[in-house]
Amino acid sequence: MSIDYELDRFIKPLRSKNSQTPNVTFQPRAYQSVQRGINLIANVIRPTLGPLPRVVAIDPIVRGNVKPEILDDGGVIARRIVALPDQDQDTGAMFLRQVLWRQHEQVGDGTATTAVLFQSIYNQGIKYIVAGGNPMQMRSYLETGLRVILDELQNRAVPLEGQQRITQFAETICHDAPLAKMLGEIFDIIGEHGQLEIREGRSRDLEREYIEGAYFEGGLLSRLMFTDPLKCRAELEDAAVLASDLSIQDPDQLVPILRAVIEANLKSLVVIANEISEKALSLLLVASRDPAQFRAIAVKAPTDIGGQAALLQDLAVLTGGRAVLSAAGDTLSNVRLENLGRARRVWATTEHFGVVAGKGSPRALRAHIAKLRAAVERAGDSQARQKIRERIGKLIGGSAVLWVGGISELEIKARTELAERTAETLRSAIMKGVLPGGGASLLACRPALQRMADQAKELDKRTTFRILSRALEEPTRTILHNAGYRPSEYMGKINQAGPGFGLDVRSGKIVDMAEAGVIDSAGVLTHAVHAAVSSAALALTVDVLVHKKRPEMSLEP
Amino acid sequence: MSPDVDQAQDLVYALAASPNFATDGVCFAAHQSGLHRSDDGGRTWRSLFDVLRLEALLSATSVALSPSFESDGAVFAGVPGGILRSMDGGKNWSTALLPPPPPFISALAVSPNYANDGIVFAGTMEDGIFRSGDRGAHWEAWNFGLLDLNVLCLSISPDLAHDETLYAGTDSGVFRSTNGGRAWRETGFPAEAAPVLSLAVSPMFARDGVLFAGTESCGLFYSEDRGQSWQRVAKRNIPRTVNVILLSPRFPQKPDILVLTNDALLVSRDGGRSWSKRGTRAELKAGTTSVVAPSGFGQRSRLLVGLADGRVLRV
Repeated sequence: MSIDYELDRFIKPLRSKNSQTPNVTFQPRAYQSVQRGINLIANVIRPTLGPLPRVVAIDPIVRGNVKPEILDDGGVIARRIVALPDQDQDTGAMFLRQVLWRQHEQVGDGTATTAVLFQSIYNQGIKYIVAGGNPMQMRSYLETGLRVILDELQNRAVPLEGQQRITQFAETICHDAPLAKMLGEIFDIIGEHGQLEIREGRSRDLEREYIEGAYFEGGLLSRLMFTDPLKCRAELEDAAVLASDLSIQDPDQLVPILRAVIEANLKSLVVIANEISEKALSLLLVASRDPAQFRAIAVKAPTDIGGQAALLQDLAVLTGGRAVLSAAGDTLSNVRLENLGRARRVWATTEHFGVVAGKGSPRALRAHIAKLRAAVERAGDSQARQKIRERIGKLIGGSAVLWVGGISELEIKARTELAERTAETLRSAIMKGVLPGGGASLLACRPALQRMADQAKELDKRTTFRILSRALEEPTRTILHNAGYRPSEYMGKINQAGPGFGLDVRSGKIVDMAEAGVIDSAGVLTHAVHAAVSSAALALTVDVLVHKKRPEMSLEP
Repeated sequence: MSPDVDQAQDLVYALAASPNFATDGVCFAAHQSGLHRSDDGGRTWRSLFDVLRLEALLSATSVALSPSFESDGAVFAGVPGGILRSMDGGKNWSTALLPPPPPFISALAVSPNYANDGIVFAGTMEDGIFRSGDRGAHWEAWNFGLLDLNVLCLSISPDLAHDETLYAGTDSGVFRSTNGGRAWRETGFPAEAAPVLSLAVSPMFARDGVLFAGTESCGLFYSEDRGQSWQRVAKRNIPRTVNVILLSPRFPQKPDILVLTNDALLVSRDGGRSWSKRGTRAELKAGTTSVVAPSGFGQRSRLLVGLADGRVLRV
């Protein structure tokens, strides 16, 4: 949990006065204050939008010798703003902050786009409401307009394929050519669901390794089981795999399984369990006394709080066996030979074990992966999505490890975080495609909204679509402004050039953005638009602010 | 033929012919008894593994030649547990062992641009696909995304140097790689029609995106969109099992297709709408396993057909 969150819990109650009467703010002050709060957060994040962003320096919460934080990530910047002194303004600021943080958590990028879209819709909307517009009607029309924009974006998205294009896109996210090149190669191989571990490296360079097969956390339970003691590694061929979460105490329980495996002429057995007693381990070592004939090893079941059974299930599908689970009432006495999985090769170290060429049914494996892919789409939060994705990654035949190097520890840490953020956006882009970047694809949605505005008979409807259409210009204007251009000089030229065109702020030329390699992840952009429009629509309906007062609290216990 | 093997069991797993067959008459046959070479268009054969002085029989389960065989003499032969490589047309051999347990090499495919890139692929039963980037000296498994490691056939785009595309037929469908065999993705091939025993990519693949797939029990399929969607070629005309598919070198302008079933050779001159038999039933009754058409499959061109009894027919 972040330090900011902890501070939130303590500081906010301290601000309140010791009174039980709630503070209530009515219009017009409620609109003005919420708008100020929203504009404050949005204006802090605006400079970070685009390929030539400006950075935001944030004073540390605890002063001392700590330097200000230099940030260019809208989500993190929003998170650092803990509270505003004015309670009414704070309500608006915290509303937008929450929207941006959720965007950051769910897709890892697009927060600055969300902020500028939200700000533009809210500011225009408030102006219209104050002039007599109906906020509830506006909300409904904003949602209609949102569907139109999302359809337009979806229709324009094209797949992101090939190492060169993935690299090009990665560079637009991380602005680090060597890192982009490495991630381009990795994602071209592992695909959108592939397992990628990003670790802090020990050298100055970036390094990567591809690992064949699937591997899990959970190492050998006895060092006597190494087949290569120098490498601290055991390697088995043609292995039977018992995937369980049992605690095996009695060695006699293992005897029927060992006998069945040996009688089936299998060369080796891997026992996966949560715990195995010394006596049971000794039995496996005795059974391996002639390794040329037979070898048995025991490894710790993969540890994943709340997810161990699922990982064992995956392992069972991969190897064609059955997961033997204590929660299902399974014991070793009801395990038969056909319940054991098979693999061409199994390896284990003190920390991990891996399965290469599991002999599970390919059809069952494909069906299982298809189910997991559908579950990724349905998963509510990023952590759940991440876990399912890791499970898919283990099943697709290989994984990659990227070691991120740098000159100093600080640089390595920052670059590792950048690599993680870029990887998350790449996954989304490979999964959902890409769109012309620099705001060009949002500009291309305006004609559809304009047509709807022209056809609308009601004023609220017409105005709402126009507000949305104007808001879609805002990301482009902001990108131009941040890069040092005057938006008013270029917007006309961009509009004349046609859909998909924009100003490449690096070259200063108006180009077909997709052809020039200026692209956005369709997943990130649609999420950003969805978050901005639906949240702004809700914010516009806020009429009264109520601040509850809590008794004064002390930091002392 | 090796004296240890009964002719009735000396199955011909695969055939390969020199790109210059019309003039040099060189062809190779991968038998259960080892690899054999003919220098007279398939009339007489001699064993190539004799030079290895092996104590036990070594089966050759697949064979492939370099597209520039005439100049480089490169021959690759899949044997249990590894791949043999000769750079002099089969006189001398070097061995590359694959990780144990010994895989069965079911298919070998050489890059059309082998002279420059030195890339060779090996499909295996149970261990997926191995790739060599140094003319077969070293091999590495590249199975990212290959959800079925039982590979039955491989087919490479003629434009591999640019599109880096190749296909693998497996027990459960067709997989495609668009990065030179380093990662694989499922195609839209219907899983219920698998296993896929044979694949053939159009010589104009870069332009037309056409490929054919022959199955074990559901006949012949084709795709016009690089494998995203598939249609079955008329059910009535094609038997259920399609072991090999050959396309005319001038396909689709000359839409000739030849398919080898379990006991027949069928030729279509109209892109698969109608089919006629080639060869007599008596000739092929032993069961057919492989075919090559080194001079095309026009009416007068000779085909080499491998039989289950170890013979290679000139049809």
